[in-house]
Amino acid sequence: MTEYFLHLAIISSFYIILALSLNLIIGYCGQVSLGHAAFYGIGAYTSALITIHWGAPFLLGLVLAVLVAALFGLGLGIPTLRIRDDYLAIVTLGFGIIVDLVLLNLEVTGGPDGLTRIPPPDLFGLNFRFKGNYLTLVMFCVLAVLLLVYRLVHSRHGRALKAIRDHEVTARVMGINTAAYKIAIFTLSAGMAGLAGSLYAHYITFINPESFGLHTSILILTMVVLGGMGSILGSVVGAGILTILPEMLRRFADYQDLAYGGLLIAMLIWRPQGLLGVGKVSQKFILPKGKKGT
Amino acid sequence: MLLQQILNGLTAGSVYALVALGYTMIYGILGLINFAQGELYMAGAFAAVLLLSAYEVNFFLAFLFGMGVAALVGVTLERVAFRPLRGAHPLVPLISAIGASILMQSLALLLFGPTDRAFPVQFEFATVDVAGIPISTLQGAIFGSAVFFMTLLVLFVKYTRFGKAIMATAQDQDTARLMGINVDRMISLTFLIGSALSGAAGIMMAIYYNATYPRMGLLPGLKAFSAAILGGVGNIPGAIVGGLILGVAENLGAAYLSSGYKDAVAFAILIVVLLLRPRGLLGGRGH
Repeated sequence: MTEYFLHLAIISSFYIILALSLNLIIGYCGQVSLGHAAFYGIGAYTSALITIHWGAPFLLGLVLAVLVAALFGLGLGIPTLRIRDDYLAIVTLGFGIIVDLVLLNLEVTGGPDGLTRIPPPDLFGLNFRFKGNYLTLVMFCVLAVLLLVYRLVHSRHGRALKAIRDHEVTARVMGINTAAYKIAIFTLSAGMAGLAGSLYAHYITFINPESFGLHTSILILTMVVLGGMGSILGSVVGAGILTILPEMLRRFADYQDLAYGGLLIAMLIWRPQGLLGVGKVSQKFILPKGKKGT
Repeated sequence: MLLQQILNGLTAGSVYALVALGYTMIYGILGLINFAQGELYMAGAFAAVLLLSAYEVNFFLAFLFGMGVAALVGVTLERVAFRPLRGAHPLVPLISAIGASILMQSLALLLFGPTDRAFPVQFEFATVDVAGIPISTLQGAIFGSAVFFMTLLVLFVKYTRFGKAIMATAQDQDTARLMGINVDRMISLTFLIGSALSGAAGIMMAIYYNATYPRMGLLPGLKAFSAAILGGVGNIPGAIVGGLILGVAENLGAAYLSSGYKDAVAFAILIVVLLLRPRGLLGGRGH
């Protein structure tokens, strides 16, 4: 039983990192990424491939996973973030589907069967097949990400980001390079998703494209919206709820997607600030008073 | 071989174009990307297939019924998921549309099960040789009906009072309201027409591939969206041209590059277009 709780805690942690990273894009760039699972997948496959084929140590795999995912984020962000608001959503959606197809069709990624026998981490001579140890490792990463996000949001750069989010034109007038900030945040966010991917791959030890498709991207999005767009704690809570609740309600697994869809619509209409986003959400996402329902 | 692939592409492309018209009209009037468009396509196909397998009805009646159901679902969708969010940042209805899309997909999965349904009516289709290329009359019929619906739409928008009112609303909602146009009704009407066209497209594809299933709308919906962007979102002739080009490019890509990446072609085109010519080939409304 404790094994099972440890497992749930570890899985929740992956999603906490993913939700936090997506929340940076939504809550601090005012953009939506619909292909976030692709960065997660790129991280997982990068780390798995180099540890399996080159026998690289786990830490190198982890670092490379972050870098490669961030690089893809940069490549996608530079051309798109400079144009219109809703373009990023579409381009990332297309990107997610292409990555999914590439993983399915390439020989090196094992096609639909994916990769197996991914080695568990080799750090400090600890046995990471023991879930308690793995949880410690994952928790350390979650705390590092949390600290990074918290410090970033409360720094000078964080204030610039909030200015961009709330009023981009004014921010630009104040001399903030809005495009550069957006690209930087998007790259950082992609890197964080890559980190989650690497941690996931070495925990589960076998991966296939199924875990990194559109469905996962929407799940992460639902977590962010549920917790509150722009709220750090909200992402943690949203990820926790949507990992643990489906486990407890296994009997209703058939209704899971139905619930996610309904939840997204209902939250946006009745509680756009999410569970914990009071006063933290971009004004962009909240309807002006008196305009509700036209 | 090449011509054959182009013809296959035109058939699929004409169906993408029908769905793309729905995207483009809704985007034109609301600035909203209706991600649930593919689910309206699925709803139309299911309605027609279920009616035909339950009752002995005329095929054309079932076709109209399917379009009607898709239209009804579309109008309801606008009421429930989009109208309460009007006036919010465009990303908010975008997320809501994604929610509606997975909601409808999983609802269909629960109601109708995951298996493919064959089309209940068998048609006798011949293969005709035109200048040495074998063409199935089914392809001809699909292409013909798609062109018929598109012509109807263009005529409607250009020459009727309602059509002009829709265009006026798309250009400037406030001015349209001042001119006495009921903007809410025009938005509903746009959803009605766009959804009916998607429903028609869904039924045609249900016949073409002989398969109706809950996820059938996902990829065609997204591809039609790429088609709308390719032609210039908000631009009606653009959606038609975009759909046809996309269908042909996809089939050529599958034939000459790799069939595994067939579905990637549309999205690769989408990304390239957004990067090089974000207003689309024929120039869309944009922002």
